[in-house]
Formats: sequence, C-alpha cells, structure tokens
Amino acid sequence: MSYQDWFRQDRLPHIYCSGCGNGTVINCTLMAVDELGWKEEETVFVSGIGCSSRASGYIVTDSLHTTHGRALPFATGVKLSNPDLNVVVFTGDGDLAAIGGNHFIHACRRNIDLTVICMNNQIYGMTGGQGSPTTPAGALSTTTPYGSSEPAFDLSELAVAAGANFVARWTSYHVKELTRAIGAGMRTPGLSFIETMTQCPTNYGRRNKLRQVTDQVEFMKNHTALRQKLDRMRESGQKVPTDIIAIGEFVRRDRPAMGVRR
Amino acid sequence: MRLVIDQDRCKGCNLCTLVCPYRIFLPGKTLNRKGVVVPELDRPERCTNCRLQKLYGRTLCGLCVMICPDQAIRWEEEEPHEPHKVAIEY
Repeated sequence: MSYQDWFRQDRLPHIYCSGCGNGTVINCTLMAVDELGWKEEETVFVSGIGCSSRASGYIVTDSLHTTHGRALPFATGVKLSNPDLNVVVFTGDGDLAAIGGNHFIHACRRNIDLTVICMNNQIYGMTGGQGSPTTPAGALSTTTPYGSSEPAFDLSELAVAAGANFVARWTSYHVKELTRAIGAGMRTPGLSFIETMTQCPTNYGRRNKLRQVTDQVEFMKNHTALRQKLDRMRESGQKVPTDIIAIGEFVRRDRPAMGVRR
Repeated sequence: MRLVIDQDRCKGCNLCTLVCPYRIFLPGKTLNRKGVVVPELDRPERCTNCRLQKLYGRTLCGLCVMICPDQAIRWEEEEPHEPHKVAIEY
C-alpha cells in the first residue's frame, strides 16, 4: 500500500490554488501515516475551517470537518471517547492561532494524545487575504495595506510553553524532514504539534513581491535556519537577522498524557 | 520504471523544477488541453528512482513526488523492462 491509496481518488484534483503548499503537507502526512502502518478504520482526521482544513475531505478515512477554530475540542472528544483511534488534526493559522487560540493552549496543557499539524501560511487565504496573527511584521495584506505593524505569533514557542510533548517546525520545502517529524510526532504519546510554514501564492506571495510560487519556496529555503544553529550564533555573540525563521525540533519530553491507548 | 506527469492533475506551479537534483523537469512552453503549462521532462530516464528502485528495494530521492501539491507526478511500471543507456553528467 502506498500513500496514494489514502487519497479519495474521485475527489482529486483538489481545489487548492496552483502551487499551494497544503497539498505538499497532505503528501507528507499520508507518507508518515503509511510508514507507521496505521489502519484506515482506526484513523480519524479532524479539521476546522479554512484552506488547510479542506485536507481531511480528500482522505479515505473517517473525517470530521468542524466549526471554525474548534477542531481541537472535537478531536479531544473523539480521542477521549475511543482512545484506540489515531486522531490527526489538520488546522491553519487562522483556525488555530486566532479563533481557536484558547482551545490550542488548553489542549497542550491537558496533553491529549493527538497529532496537530498546523499549515501556517501567514494569512487568511480562503477569505481574501486578511492579516492573521502570524502575518510577519511589515507584510502587506488586505487589512494591513501599509505593512503589518504588529508582532507575529510564534506558535511553536507557544506550544512549548503550554506543555505539548513534541513540537517541531518545518516548511513545505523540507519534505523529507517534515515527514520524519510528523512520524515522530505520531509515535509520541501526548499532544504533538508540527507547524509547517506553507506558501500562499495567491494571497500572500502576490502582495509581497514573491509573485512566482518558486520565489516563495526559495524565500522559505533561504530564510530558515536550524534552531540549534541560531542558538549557537546567539551564544557566540553573532547578530541573528530578524527575518530568519527557526526550524527543527523544539522539544521532545514525557509529560503525563491524556487519552493514550490502553 | 517511468516518470509520468498526470496532465489532468497538474496545475503548472513548477515546484518540481525547483527540487529535482537532475533538473529533469523544465518549465513548459505550451498549453495542454486543460489550458495548463505542464513542465516538460528532459531525458526522464536519468531519474535515480526509476533506474535503481528495484535494485535497492526502497524509494530513492522521490522529492518531486512528495513536493508536488497536486499529486500529479508518479512512477509507472514498464512492462517488459527496457534497459536505457544513461549518460551520467559530472
């Protein structure tokens, strides 16, 4: 069985724009699920509202497409009512950080055995490109026409502070590392949070001088650095540029978890 | 094995041209029947996975298949297998 068998072939091609990174993240997730050897009838994909949350509809397993920001409470209910199920949550940055922010920190605090995959495209892509809590300072969007003046949310650091058991951040360019991180997160008991920076060519790149899809992916490739490398640079007193995004594994620990399979 | 781009699924984002270490994918020039400029394959028999997957018993590289957001790239079995002459570039 290959990861292609996890797609609903009759629903493809999907409705994402040309070059949208969400398709890449679905590929990586299904590859990790396939390597773990999970069964289709024991896996549930839960998602909220947004571009990224349409992902669960393209997968053959049972899935829940829930209300805006409330994917994590629904997933908590699924997992606690039947701990034998493997529950994966697809969510976007507007879904997880903006309207569902409180649910997110409390799911991390309770440490429920879920895998949360956040496709962070740094903008509200589906509704027309409004600025989201993760829009970087200075970026243009329809609601920040002179450049975003607010500092952005660092979701991975938030998950570490709130108590998730596994936190990693990769981009949609780093496909092999992302697959490995998702697999590690699925094996870890407790909440594992994988943040993936994805490109949004239609609403983010078009307004921020990254017109081609490949431009935006090259930007992510050139403006990311491993967290350990950034730490070393700070220790040795070097100046770290502010637009560099830290990627890599943030934490892996063993706090007591809820809803683990008996 | 043979490298194939699905003409019905590809949306022409050219991400495969960015990641292929052999530069097998080149940006296309002509529209297909759906109106999408699908990348062209430049000597696809150079693909490592197509040549060596059977020998090693696992997927090698496979970056284009994983990064393709539209699940349009795949490897097809060739029957009967035809050995290709491959010029390795240094």
